[in-house]
Amino acid sequence: MPTPILVVDDSVMARKMLIKALPAGWDVEITQAGNGVEALAAYRAGKAEVMFLDLTMPELDGYGVLETLQAEGLNSFVIVVSADIQPLARERVKQLGALAFVKKPVDPAQIEAILREYGIAL
Amino acid sequence: MNDQLLLTPDQRDALQEVTNIAMGQAGAQLAQILEVFVQLSVPRINITESSSIATSILQLVGTPQSVTAVRQAFSGTLRGEAMVVYDQNGCRDLADLMGYEDDIDRDSERELLLDVGNVLVGACLNGIAELLGAKLSFSAPTIMAEDVEVGRLINPQQLTWNYALLVEVHFTLEVRDFTCHLMTLMPEESIVALKSALDAFMENL
Repeated sequence: MPTPILVVDDSVMARKMLIKALPAGWDVEITQAGNGVEALAAYRAGKAEVMFLDLTMPELDGYGVLETLQAEGLNSFVIVVSADIQPLARERVKQLGALAFVKKPVDPAQIEAILREYGIAL
Repeated sequence: MNDQLLLTPDQRDALQEVTNIAMGQAGAQLAQILEVFVQLSVPRINITESSSIATSILQLVGTPQSVTAVRQAFSGTLRGEAMVVYDQNGCRDLADLMGYEDDIDRDSERELLLDVGNVLVGACLNGIAELLGAKLSFSAPTIMAEDVEVGRLINPQQLTWNYALLVEVHFTLEVRDFTCHLMTLMPEESIVALKSALDAFMENL
């Protein structure tokens, strides 16, 4: 069965870049969200076994999504994908339950390595 | 407005994302200098006729207030002007953060604003240029206005081009209210060159 994954970014191009960087042959069902509110709706609909989450977004940002998921009992592999490369940003998202932090522009090899590290079937 | 200059929705989205990536680098450098966490904004993009540039800048900065601005010219694949606009309290706060006591003199304050402006402009524009395969060089930063009302920052009559692309990002420090805005102004031919570079970037995705 394909793995439901959710790609969250306010930029259509950024979502495209991320989707292109996913491992070839990974059997996935991709849902896209343009902000944190849409992301939570998709998450609640069971579309996010793995979530790729941007931080800087209108409506609800990535931190807000992580806080909500944490409050509700996080049950998703969240990989934060962000241009914010401050060490503190990385620390904060980890504290909020994100598994990993990937900087933009995304490196396909890094994404594959993270997925393998956490034993996500590719 | 000349339709050829308008950004398509795809081009706008791409420019916003490229700017977002570049400002992440600029913000990280600012954070390192000031030793505080810097909050990044979603970049705002606007093409404007030069006659309405003052109004557009006022909209971007928000409430009318007195500001101080640093400018820097860039040339190469794209040419134009980059400006960093500090609000009234911003200058004072910046001095505080850098560890100056109350006795900072006017010259040291100017130097500080120029230094921070230079770091932000360099990191942000070089970041954009690098992603788009463009090459830029910069003039030394200069103070373009001190304590002027934001609507009067630019005199449209002094601009030599008819249109400008405003790319606006702002940085907010968590520890206090310091905000500064970075904007770029580009003439028509650079807007056209930027559009082609964005198209090429998207085609290669």
